[in-house]
Amino acid sequence: MAVNAFSDEWARQFKDEVNRSDVYKSAAKGWKWTVGLVVEAEPDKNFPESKGVVMDLFDGSARDIKVGSAGDAQKCDFVITAPYSRWKQVATKELDATKGILQGKLKLKGDLPTIVRYTKASQEMTECTTRVPVEWPDEK
Amino acid sequence: MLGGLIEANIGNNPARRHDFDELAARVGIWVTDIDEGVTLDFQKGTLMVANGLKPKRDVTIRAEAETVMNLSNLRIGLFGMPVYYDEVGRGIAAKLVQGKLRIEGMLGNIATVNTVTRIFSVR
Repeated sequence: MAVNAFSDEWARQFKDEVNRSDVYKSAAKGWKWTVGLVVEAEPDKNFPESKGVVMDLFDGSARDIKVGSAGDAQKCDFVITAPYSRWKQVATKELDATKGILQGKLKLKGDLPTIVRYTKASQEMTECTTRVPVEWPDEK
Repeated sequence: MLGGLIEANIGNNPARRHDFDELAARVGIWVTDIDEGVTLDFQKGTLMVANGLKPKRDVTIRAEAETVMNLSNLRIGLFGMPVYYDEVGRGIAAKLVQGKLRIEGMLGNIATVNTVTRIFSVR
């Protein structure tokens, strides 16, 4: 059953998908940093307030994934910021996250060499988001 | 982003800093699946990054976004040579053979290509 985008239930299902992924487990071995996703508000898309997704990832598993404020996400070691509709494009496979970062459509803050070392893990994490059935606020 | 990656890389590693300080070359990178690219103008210790491909490039790398990122994951082995026999290296070599990674100007500039690879490498 589809869950509301960027809701607590979405975060729980996303975490389960990450922890089910053997590809992620292997590609993210050694990862020990928090990652924050800032989903910027787009009131005209029925997404009126920015949200933050805080991911506590450690050594190939997701210890916790929570939805909170954009400010919470901005405190993470790595922060990826984009408007709501860009994240929707990523989650629906319309936009590849690697290309989005190279094009500046997704803004990345954090130690670049570290995140580049884990490109495969980042790609698999994006794949995990696409496996969570989502009800999008602009389609309601 | 590539400029930021190089800045962080040379800050972390004195050997890469040395490579950066010695390198004088104009390198183009064209990301084929987004039709965008940059020109990196290395001038012995300084780097100018420009959008698009500028003329008089010594080397031009053309590849998909994923391959460009993977180039940064090439390990550097003995004598500062990129390692092409591990998983990442084999992937890069396969892309070269398949024509999905093209390095124009490589034959006359092998040393430059190796130096650029070292500066890019996060491994």
